[in-house]
Amino acid sequence: MGTPTARIRNFSIIAHIDHGKSTLADRLLEATGTVAAREMTEQVLDTMDLERERGITIKAQAVRMPYRAADGLDYELNLIDTPGHVDFAYEVSRALAACEGALLVVDASQGIEAQTLANVYKAMELNLEIVPVINKIDLPQAEPTRVAEEVESVIGISRERCLLVSARTGEGVGEVLEAVVRQLPAPAGDDSLPLRALIFDCKYDAYRGVVVYVRVFEGRLSSGTQIRMMAGQGTFTVDEVGCFRPGMEEVAELAAGEVGYLIASIRNVRDSKVGDTITEAQRPATQALPGYRQASPMVWAGLFPVDSDDYPDLKEALDRLQLNDAALVFEPETSAALGFGFRCGFLGLLHMEIVQERLEREFDLELITTAPSVAYRVNLRDGQQIEIDNPDQLPDPSQVISIEEPRVKLEVVTPREYLGGIMELCQERRGEFRHLEYQVGDRALLTYDLPLGEIIHDFYDQLKSRSRGYASMDYELAGYRAEQLVKLDVLVAGNSVDALSTIVHRGQAQGQGKRLVRRMKEVIPRQLFEVALQAAVGGKVVARETIPALRKDVLAKCYGGDITRKRKLLEKQREGKQRMKRVGSVEIPQEAFMAVLTIDR
Amino acid sequence: MTADDSLAPPRSLYIHLPFCRRRCAYCDFAISISGPDLQDRYLDSLLEELHFVSRTSAAAAPLQTVHLGGGTPSLLGTERLARLMEAVAAGFSMEDGCEVALEANPEEVSPAAAREWARLGITRASLGIQSLSDPTLRWLGRGHDAELGLSALGWLRESDIPQVSCDLIFAIPGQSTGTFLNGLDRVLRFEPDHLSCYELTLEPGTTTRRLVDRGRARPVAEAVALEQLRSARARLLAAGLTRYEVSNYSRPGCQSRHNLNYWRGGTYLALGAGSHGFLGGAAASALGLPAGRARGVRYWHFRDAATYVRVLGQGSSGIRDSEQLEDSQIGLERLALGLRLTEGVEVAEAQLLAASRRLAAHGWLVVEGERVRATPEGMEILDRLTLELIAA
Repeated sequence: MGTPTARIRNFSIIAHIDHGKSTLADRLLEATGTVAAREMTEQVLDTMDLERERGITIKAQAVRMPYRAADGLDYELNLIDTPGHVDFAYEVSRALAACEGALLVVDASQGIEAQTLANVYKAMELNLEIVPVINKIDLPQAEPTRVAEEVESVIGISRERCLLVSARTGEGVGEVLEAVVRQLPAPAGDDSLPLRALIFDCKYDAYRGVVVYVRVFEGRLSSGTQIRMMAGQGTFTVDEVGCFRPGMEEVAELAAGEVGYLIASIRNVRDSKVGDTITEAQRPATQALPGYRQASPMVWAGLFPVDSDDYPDLKEALDRLQLNDAALVFEPETSAALGFGFRCGFLGLLHMEIVQERLEREFDLELITTAPSVAYRVNLRDGQQIEIDNPDQLPDPSQVISIEEPRVKLEVVTPREYLGGIMELCQERRGEFRHLEYQVGDRALLTYDLPLGEIIHDFYDQLKSRSRGYASMDYELAGYRAEQLVKLDVLVAGNSVDALSTIVHRGQAQGQGKRLVRRMKEVIPRQLFEVALQAAVGGKVVARETIPALRKDVLAKCYGGDITRKRKLLEKQREGKQRMKRVGSVEIPQEAFMAVLTIDR
Repeated sequence: MTADDSLAPPRSLYIHLPFCRRRCAYCDFAISISGPDLQDRYLDSLLEELHFVSRTSAAAAPLQTVHLGGGTPSLLGTERLARLMEAVAAGFSMEDGCEVALEANPEEVSPAAAREWARLGITRASLGIQSLSDPTLRWLGRGHDAELGLSALGWLRESDIPQVSCDLIFAIPGQSTGTFLNGLDRVLRFEPDHLSCYELTLEPGTTTRRLVDRGRARPVAEAVALEQLRSARARLLAAGLTRYEVSNYSRPGCQSRHNLNYWRGGTYLALGAGSHGFLGGAAASALGLPAGRARGVRYWHFRDAATYVRVLGQGSSGIRDSEQLEDSQIGLERLALGLRLTEGVEVAEAQLLAASRRLAAHGWLVVEGERVRATPEGMEILDRLTLELIAA
């Protein structure tokens, strides 16, 4: 017999990176006895190495904690963790949709950051009850009173309601649990209605297939239930339902209001899309739960193996990553310069870096990644509109009427003193000012409308450096707009290098071309011949650099004691040379293909 | 010459004498700045190693060359040098006309010293003149001036030592092309048999490198260095010295036979701190080095003179480590070294020959049958050409 619905609480934690979400989660697990203190490896919820290193959560988790409250009753608390990066905003919104409430964790010295704010707004839209928690009150620079004031003025929650906590020392953790029980509503939902369960995450398990994380809103789910995905349309038979404590533990059923997992011989994460509604095949619900959206990649790049013999391995590795990452899409791509590879779509640049790093680390592949691009809509003379995610696919200009680029609504929270620098940055990136709102203390919320393509490169790093790390950002897609866009080609010794083409604004083509060829001159070693580097728009050269021919390269002294050293150097150089890509007779190192990313603007 | 010949028993012996009065600003060699006490103990240890090696089968073949390198071998003094030469003669058989070369610095050269060296059987003296500009010599941290350099060259020339060579350095920060060529001309008036003309290499950890890295000395522009190299070559040719290696010029028959053996991929024994040797598998085994099935083994000694002495005192050989070479590595070395010689190198593999012909089409190499050699233009970019060939 499960816990009565009235004593279930489903909640998640909203926090900025480093504000102590994982530590607080650890303390909650300890305090409820879900995990004994001695079993705690630091930060149980972040399981992937990469996550722990980067301090971010990539995959959400859900843990069920039994809790006997001060009123003497036993409660079931479900903590649903959310991914902590702007690339995964949609996943966050689905995890929040599975809850009735959220803990808003704010660092007692840092205050509220942009991403936190964006997630708070999401939670409010979903009618979640919010419990503000001011964390790290044990630190000397903590200003809990000021931060509580900020919470009141920015979010509109009375400062008296802020809980003062140090997740590190454990101070105030008991109050957090009591607040969850007392302040958050119990889930509503009728067991007898047709099944409606929200998929808020899933993961691939090599032995059991796809493990689907669900929140049941109506009806019941147990093994043997025939289920249907309302958007994905697949039909499956449930083999097992259970919950996480924190390991997987089978239960008899998941009833309305409960959170847990199901296993149903689903072979592919694509068949259980985050945000989709699960219903019963025999007695389907008439309407899906709101908010489903097909997760679509925002950033595209080519991935090519350095050693072309690794192509089959790269394919296999991508297949395996995709099992667990529904947002990753890829298709074969051929480049004259780089050979066979894959055009991959990512949620954002961080997602791209994570995939790249996992491919290199877990699959031991060495890759060349081309400059990331966004997807453009091209209106053709024949009335068609095509979407391209690779600059090389841009049709001949004579067939093109206009090119539309995706734009985003960008929100930045920053101390006022950095406003100037940040607004300048937004203007440089073709941003259009929308709104500026001063908040309590010295903070400001800045809203801009700007092209997605302008923020995928180094915008975030620039934002951080121009605000000494204090500004934070969040963005969401805000439609397409036609702009004066052109394809900037790079020619090496007269040969156009497909993998180096980018789409840029006409007004920036020359400047960008100059920076690009200058950067390439730095990374391409001198060759036996002079090499011309050109940037061109529609056949017209807009920038040029020349790598002079190598004139002198010979060791002056090579006697008996120098031979081993010389041989080892040659062996190393030979290895380096064999990894370079050839364009015509020019050898180009890997870094050159990433030159676009390492330009100083 | 086939690869098998080159791995014949060693006919060359290198002996390292690491002592110097001071460390020159450009030097990263295994040298030691210490007094006569360590010199004596070092010589004892060196002779101990010599006795050990000379009793093995690795020392069976008569020597064609003995090279006393440094450091500053001339610093050793006549008595110690006599002890060393006696030990070499007693331990090894030496072919008639065996080349016995001694590296010397001007400070130790005198008519009397030159006489002694000739008496002890030195057939070739190699003098470190380096430059004939006093400010440049000071900048290089040398302990002599131009005048002493030239005097020393004169005394050696007048002595009974059959062959005299000297070293000059170009592409030195602060020394103009005119000053360098003027110095070269003054040296050539003494009609040396052999001249080594090196571009200054800014080795990591040296004073000169630090000065350049910190902007306290301006590195010589590539074009200037090339101009100095080309002008020097022209003057040397005009003076009757032919280039036979990247940095080495000689009158006919006066090449350094010891060094030629290195560049032709030959084997050689080595004694003393920091010295490197190269042996065929059988000879290496005879020295107690792990050889496995390798056709060639390179080995090297402890670099530090005091460590070398201590290790020998503990009854072990002064060898620090060795490496077994695969045939492909031997091939790579032979190609890289052989191309440094104007005579070039025999290349058997079709792929290498094809790659050589491609580079020959640009005038960097000449291919005659299976022999490949670099042209003067090719010599200037030889390391890159070698890389092109081995990566082809």
